Amino acid sequence: MGHMRLRVLGVVAAALMLAVACGSSSSGGNTKQVKVGLVTDTGGLNDKSFNHLAYVGLQSAISKLGIKGDVIESKSGDDYVPNLTNFAQKGYDLVIGNGFLMQPAIGTVAAQFPNIKFAIVDGAGTDAKFNDLKQTNVMDLFFKEQESGALVGAIAGLLEKQSKAPKNTHVISAVGGVKIPPVDHYLAGYQWAAKIYDPSIKVLIGYSNDFNATDKCKAVANTQIGQGSEFVFQVAGGCGVGALQAAGQAHVYSFGVDADQKDADPSVIASALKKVDVAVYDAIKSVVDGKFTGGANRFSLANDATGYQVDNFSLPADIKTEVDNLAAAMKSGSKTPPDVVS
Amino acid sequence: MLPRFSGLAVPLGSVLFAFVAGGLIVLISGANPIDAYQGLLCGVGLLCAGGENPALELSTTIVFLTPLITAGVAVAIPFRAGLFNIGAEGQLLVGTVACLVVGISLSSLPGIVLVPLELLAGMAAGAAWAGIAGVLKATVGAHEVVTTIMLNYVAQWLVRYLIIGGPLQAPGAFSASSPISVNGRLPTFFPASNSLIVFGLPSSVYRVHTGLIIALVAAAVFAFLLWRTSLGYEIRAVGQSQKAARYAGVSVPRTIIVTMLIAGAFAGLAGAIQIAGVDKQLTDKYFNDTTGFDAIAVALLGLGSAVGIVLAALLFGALHAGGAVMQSDAGLSSNLVLVLQALILFSIAGNFVGQISRLIPGLRAPPTLPSELPPAAPLMTEAAAPPPETA
Repeated sequence: MGHMRLRVLGVVAAALMLAVACGSSSSGGNTKQVKVGLVTDTGGLNDKSFNHLAYVGLQSAISKLGIKGDVIESKSGDDYVPNLTNFAQKGYDLVIGNGFLMQPAIGTVAAQFPNIKFAIVDGAGTDAKFNDLKQTNVMDLFFKEQESGALVGAIAGLLEKQSKAPKNTHVISAVGGVKIPPVDHYLAGYQWAAKIYDPSIKVLIGYSNDFNATDKCKAVANTQIGQGSEFVFQVAGGCGVGALQAAGQAHVYSFGVDADQKDADPSVIASALKKVDVAVYDAIKSVVDGKFTGGANRFSLANDATGYQVDNFSLPADIKTEVDNLAAAMKSGSKTPPDVVS
Repeated sequence: MLPRFSGLAVPLGSVLFAFVAGGLIVLISGANPIDAYQGLLCGVGLLCAGGENPALELSTTIVFLTPLITAGVAVAIPFRAGLFNIGAEGQLLVGTVACLVVGISLSSLPGIVLVPLELLAGMAAGAAWAGIAGVLKATVGAHEVVTTIMLNYVAQWLVRYLIIGGPLQAPGAFSASSPISVNGRLPTFFPASNSLIVFGLPSSVYRVHTGLIIALVAAAVFAFLLWRTSLGYEIRAVGQSQKAARYAGVSVPRTIIVTMLIAGAFAGLAGAIQIAGVDKQLTDKYFNDTTGFDAIAVALLGLGSAVGIVLAALLFGALHAGGAVMQSDAGLSSNLVLVLQALILFSIAGNFVGQISRLIPGLRAPPTLPSELPPAAPLMTEAAAPPPETA
């Protein structure tokens, strides 16, 4: 019996070897080619959100700039330092970390490899207490998320004001992941704009304290819907898909975040965009062009990196005009959304 | 067939099976299995073809495997007593919290005093956490699988509370605590310097720390406790048959409680080692930490023996560290690494559970004995048995 099993294993192993021998590929190439490594956070590439967008940016750099690009997904926070180090030790020209929570890891690895260039979405290289180390080899890619949050907040406010919401309760809500600046920027803009267009509106804000577990966001959203909310804005990455689903099941509207999330749930009437792909592409291009500089880079409406997208909904033309006017006002600087939740 | 040989053939065979099956899946997914497994070997410092530094990869693997050894022991001890400790994760988490609190509040103490205090605090917290499940099992017969799973949730949410708006949240930080001071950290084998070059890289990249020695000592203590002490005899006796143990004068409730206390101490130690050796602070990573669950697989794959646990932890550490290499060099999806891990577990649990469960209680028994044991898994049946009478 044991011999039988061994024999089967042997046959399978032999078949495998044969298949490999036939299919072996040769690799190698241009030594001058710029090499870029992307490390995702724990959301993974299939988060339909900012990790996915970072990958889109990398792919477009591969096709347009002819770079070599590789990706490592982080399965837990344990992986940040080893994954960043993996690219750095191999002499990659640029190592990109994705996400606010990766900041201390970037700070550590960037200090160990001063000759390697780093970029981080939503953050900077920091110490364990999240103090910016102001490293010259780290490019910080920040976004004015408050602009995108304001645009979907304006849609909610205008629909409530014009009595075009499902029940016109004048209650809207948002589900944040963890209370960190990039999340709160969105929420602050959302809150601010909704109140401009509907002063009587009540904005409920809750946090799931998680970016990955959909059930946690679903629970927060359901509580808010129970309190009368009829627009649920998710700002919680993969977790937030649960908030969108909760809105769908309760037949109220929802807003997606970062990427266009119209496919995540039919209840998504618009998405607040944060074009991480633009930022990642720009960072890679700066290395290819030899123009890389450390420090803060801010992405906003001004460089078409924030905005909104109407999804499973036909937005009345007058509302769309109002929202576009707000976008123009924020772009010109005549209106400035806050970046702190009030 | 020689029982000693079959004891090794089962885990090795299932790992081999999983690797071959995994290789076929890699092939189907369009990548090269040789590249993929080369990445895996690179995790233990062999055959790094993609430009990785073998010493660094080995260091990373050791960092990953260290907590798995101690947590694996925390699962293996209750197995011997017929208890299934699913709660190593929760016990590990309270261990991290206790270690951190001691490390921060007594930060003025010299390292030679502070580090042992941190580790002891972690062990005490883990023991107390597992002790709850042990006392409930021994007194009212509450099934330890249920109670330890529930205690995992309590611990996870406790950590969330503590570092998100709770008392341990660092000012200015988000979902993270303050770090423990430098003297509260386990020494690393290499100085944490960015300018000293060791094996071609700054020495600070090698995070391998003295927690490895503690973990190996813990595994040795486990083996000694189990085979060379009367307590170990009692634990094994209770695991084989509670009725027989009671007849022989062993207090079953007392043994259950003591077993869980010891197991929790090992899991808490794993958590303390992680804080004092690697992480220095509590972060959001502990919300989704799976060390305590991986430890169950490690304990099973290691057949509940000290050497087996160390080897199984090495495999899991290499899978973890090599996973990054497999992704960057072979272009594999990170999910494929998890598929491989799952395949290993599946091949053990699916094909060989009967053999393994016969092996665990009877590993040192004379060759003639196993055939006389009941065919069903004593490990499972004892765990599912009605509560012991407390009289």
